[in-house]
Amino acid sequence: MFTPNLSLILLLPLLGLGFVCLVPADKTRLIRRIAGITVLLPFILSVWVFAAYDHVAGGFQFVQNTPWVVPFGISYHLGVDGINSLMLLLLGATSLAAVLISESIKERVKEYYILLLITIIGTYGAFLSLDIFFFYFFHEVAAVPVFLMIAIWGSERREFAAMKLTLFLVAGAAIALIGLIALYLSTGLQTFDLVTIQQQLAQHPLPIAVQNWIFPLIVLGFGITLTLWPFYTWAPVGYAEAPTAISMLHAGVLKKMAAYAIIRFAIQLMPQAAHAWMPLVAGLAIVNIVYCGLVALTQRDLKYILGYSSCSHMGYIMLGLACFNTIGLNGVVYLMFAHGIMAALSFALVGFVENQTKTRDLNELGGLLKCMPFIGTCFMMAAFASAGVPGFANFVAEILVLLGAWDQYRILTVFAVLGLVITAIYLLKAIRLGFQGPLNPKFAQLSDASTLTAKFPYVLLLALLILVGCLPTVILTHIGSSTKTIVESIK
Amino acid sequence: MFPVIDWSLVSLEVLISIILVSLVVVDIVLPKNADKDWIGIFSFIALAGLIIFWLTQGSLSGTTFSGMFVMDSLAWFFKTFFLIAMVFVFAMTQEFFKSLGERRNEFYLLLWLALIGMCLVASSADFLLLFISIEILTISLYVMTAYLKSDALSIEAGMKYLILGALASGFFLYGISFLYGTTHSTHFSVIQSYCQIHAMSPMTLFALVLIFAAVGFKIAAVPFHMWVADVYQGAPTPVTALLSVGSKAAGFIILIRLFFSIFGAWHAEWGLALAILSAITMTYGNLVAMFQTNIKRLLGYSSISHAGYLLMGAAAGTALGASGINFYLLGYLFTNLAAFLVIIVFSIATKSDEIADYAGLSQRSSLLACTMLLALVSLAGMPPLVGFFGKFTLLMAVIKSGYIWLALIAGVNIVISLYYYLMVAKRIYVDPPRHTAKIIVPSKIRLLLVIAILGIVIIGIFQGPFLDAAMAAVQGMYLSHL
Repeated sequence: MFTPNLSLILLLPLLGLGFVCLVPADKTRLIRRIAGITVLLPFILSVWVFAAYDHVAGGFQFVQNTPWVVPFGISYHLGVDGINSLMLLLLGATSLAAVLISESIKERVKEYYILLLITIIGTYGAFLSLDIFFFYFFHEVAAVPVFLMIAIWGSERREFAAMKLTLFLVAGAAIALIGLIALYLSTGLQTFDLVTIQQQLAQHPLPIAVQNWIFPLIVLGFGITLTLWPFYTWAPVGYAEAPTAISMLHAGVLKKMAAYAIIRFAIQLMPQAAHAWMPLVAGLAIVNIVYCGLVALTQRDLKYILGYSSCSHMGYIMLGLACFNTIGLNGVVYLMFAHGIMAALSFALVGFVENQTKTRDLNELGGLLKCMPFIGTCFMMAAFASAGVPGFANFVAEILVLLGAWDQYRILTVFAVLGLVITAIYLLKAIRLGFQGPLNPKFAQLSDASTLTAKFPYVLLLALLILVGCLPTVILTHIGSSTKTIVESIK
Repeated sequence: MFPVIDWSLVSLEVLISIILVSLVVVDIVLPKNADKDWIGIFSFIALAGLIIFWLTQGSLSGTTFSGMFVMDSLAWFFKTFFLIAMVFVFAMTQEFFKSLGERRNEFYLLLWLALIGMCLVASSADFLLLFISIEILTISLYVMTAYLKSDALSIEAGMKYLILGALASGFFLYGISFLYGTTHSTHFSVIQSYCQIHAMSPMTLFALVLIFAAVGFKIAAVPFHMWVADVYQGAPTPVTALLSVGSKAAGFIILIRLFFSIFGAWHAEWGLALAILSAITMTYGNLVAMFQTNIKRLLGYSSISHAGYLLMGAAAGTALGASGINFYLLGYLFTNLAAFLVIIVFSIATKSDEIADYAGLSQRSSLLACTMLLALVSLAGMPPLVGFFGKFTLLMAVIKSGYIWLALIAGVNIVISLYYYLMVAKRIYVDPPRHTAKIIVPSKIRLLLVIAILGIVIIGIFQGPFLDAAMAAVQGMYLSHL
């Protein structure tokens, strides 16, 4: 019986990256084709991993383990459970869509794809690693490529946005790194291996005093990436100015690495501290939901609306993390997936609109449904998904989070529901101003995404949203098999 | 009775001296107007031979010259380090003087002399030999710094370096004399046994501070950093490269020998002081580097901040900290030399070291741009490059020793430093070029650039064997206190 080899998910794109580096810069068609294959292959492998994962048996599967730096106990340890197999699927679909919509990039194509592929490989590595060192290592690989991509291919305020985003994220990462090293040292196990540390700490938890200062370092560090209020300001401007593919990947997937890290390294390994600190995070999460939602209401720039919307939705993830029950945690992982696909889809659509109209300003746009019915319809569906309309994946995820939160944080949950209403208002406003009403005459000649290849990325993401929204069990069984053990360890 | 000398232990120094003397002879014999750079070519061949010879000598250990000269794993590690660094510096010198065209021969001789000095520093087991070897190194550096007779900046740099360097030497001797006064010896092993028995007295504290001032001058730690920016900017670029890598590493061997063996027993007294100094040094270097417009000055201040990071390892006072210093320096070697290679090629092509002129470099030479980007990002400490694992090891060392606050300050510094490194990266990759002429990179430099890139990436990803080497260097250390 064949089982998927997880190293291939890293090595194949690396090989593709090597090929892209070797091709002369003027052969852009060849470069695009290689890049397409380079992300398609790991996507297929990710689907295979997801399908082959045995959720009845649970635990980490397809494990590969090679010692790497022996004195420190660092090992090249790959493996997936229900959570990261889902994250692989998210990354696979998003990265494929991101590479395909990059057809619109015409300048410095080779450098663009090299940087994009490095970002994608780093993210794959982070989701595959079961070693804390390698998680961090891969997670930081993306930082500089993202900076360069925003600074080179971004829109007007790109240099400011690139620097702000990078410095915030690296500051967060540095704080988290100190927390992770402290965690490693205080276990006394001389290993960065997540599985070993999990087993040990489940038996002998760290002293509460130690947990209580390491936990906030890790949560604050990754919280900055997760746009925890008040450290979210890098995100709206960063996503607005970034090239579309980076907005898609960052809002869709890279941010989710932080949530993933908080679940795996903070909450599961230091449950006592989690019970002490997470209510505070839940409070900040509500500020995220309501405040960022209200700010999104005032925006006139489509990408800024999506940026603030993304910050606002991270609030639900953090609220769910603070629940400590299976239903809430299931909702969190579900939402990581659903929001990732939805965010990638919306940024891709806005990127298409911007590329055609050269503006994102809602005051100038209008009536776009007339000239681009396909894109407009997709955008409306993405907006419905975001607002939590049943039938889309986000509905299931948000309802799970809210149900999980109800027992613990009654009042906060009321505000969280209010956030959904705010989401609906600003997105409907965006649809009305941008896509309905009279068509601005200067946009009359614009064309829709007409060919099948042009439509494919949007269809792929939308199909996933609807499929997972209508058949929640497809992914809930996977999620449930892993969250069960986590919730048991934090009870 | 004349002591028995084990010549095999000093083989490297003897070979270098023979090479140096024969090069002097060649220089005299050669016709004055010879076009070809014979001394440079001979130097290269000799250096290649020396490296091959030296890599087979890894098992050398012992002391000779009545215990003044020690050959141990630490000395082997650092001598290998210096030899590799010299390959880059020689190549830079050849390029540099190709464009200047005059008086290059003496420069090579001075480089060889500096190499002897560095190797002797690595092997000193007595304060007198240590002083002499530091002087051999530093005096050749003074001359080389002021080498460009017609360049006012170079003369000024040489003068500043000489005055402050002489002051540091004075401190060093004064410190040794106090130490001799209390311990009645200049020999490391005697002083170490003294420290193990006695507590620190005001007199030994005074001696330690004076000696540290001299070492701090070499590694460019605050407050002994005053010379750095002007000297880095004014000196011929190969000298700047040597200062930033070779001379700094020489300082750190002394530091490792001082604090991990000789005064190791007094760790409780000096640990906190070094931690505070480390925090001030890295913060000062990074804050000032943000405002630089000249790339050599920028790397000068960045080199101060790296001295601060490296001091974290000394503050930790553990084997992990010392191995961290070794590993960090190894990464720093490839990273910084890669940056200086780019600076040399760029300044020869454009006659400029201004960061503003680096605009659009990626469109003028993709290799130079890529090397500079990797070097800067590695200096900032981003994975998968070597600078990350070095910082990771040092952070681990200080957290393990309980200096969480120092780790947090280092974290803040990483962010500050990333800002100015990325500003340069932005110039190179984002800004439009002022001139569009392509920059041609000579094939030898191209090869070295590729080697440096491979060093930065491969050590960054396959850290294991290199960390093992760095740890082995500490474990087999003479008079180890760890």
